[in-house]
Amino acid sequence: MPDAIDAQASLEGVLKDEILRMYQEVADNPEAEFHFFHGREAAELFDYDRDALDRAPEGAVASFAGVGNPHLRASIQAGETVLDLGSGAGLDAIIASWSTGPSGTVIGVDLNPAMCIKAQAHAALTGSVMECHAGRMEEIPVPSESVDVVISNGVINLSFQKRRVVEEVFRVLRPGGRISITDIVSGKQLSQSIVNDPKLWAS
Amino acid sequence: MFRLLEESGFARVRSAVVPRFAFRKASTQNSAEAFGVKAVMMTAQKPETA
Repeated sequence: MPDAIDAQASLEGVLKDEILRMYQEVADNPEAEFHFFHGREAAELFDYDRDALDRAPEGAVASFAGVGNPHLRASIQAGETVLDLGSGAGLDAIIASWSTGPSGTVIGVDLNPAMCIKAQAHAALTGSVMECHAGRMEEIPVPSESVDVVISNGVINLSFQKRRVVEEVFRVLRPGGRISITDIVSGKQLSQSIVNDPKLWAS
Repeated sequence: MFRLLEESGFARVRSAVVPRFAFRKASTQNSAEAFGVKAVMMTAQKPETA
């Protein structure tokens, strides 16, 4: 049994490295072609408001790697506290900040500390203030019952511990708080060869 | 994911398929379809009494 646990930990470590590499590459080389749509092309595909995309920093738009549009159902109100789980280069957090206004708070969480710095720099370009904490979604670095809305876009599927992530989202939400999440799901059990392939998993 | 949300205590769990989601490469898209891979929008609420 310890061997199995060690193997799982090893695979998770490799996966973490591959996720960091993949999404850093999208942020550093947004002009490159990936097997998923990204940047403005993807955002327009998912009905992001074109005026918002024009208004957002070019770097945040170009690095967008979401799988849908969580804003369509988030109904974010002025003064609310919003958590963007897996905030990347910051596009979703910045758009959320335009709904919360200066009386609200937007908090990003990302595995990659460099992405947090980039997202905050992008937010500053728009005059928005965004907190960003480097950390794991399985241990969200945010106090319990402190958030009104959790948004996330194509991130939770990357975790080996999805139940743990969902429990953490539940923990940080205030009673009555809500989620608007877009993500990838599979209707069938993936083969072990796919599960064990960090490149496919990080996709 | 839908089940995980319900089992974790969320109420009013809703999901809908994200229209137009696809992988760029046809080979990846074909493999994804074979496994029922799709993008979904999920909304839910933490009960007031939680």
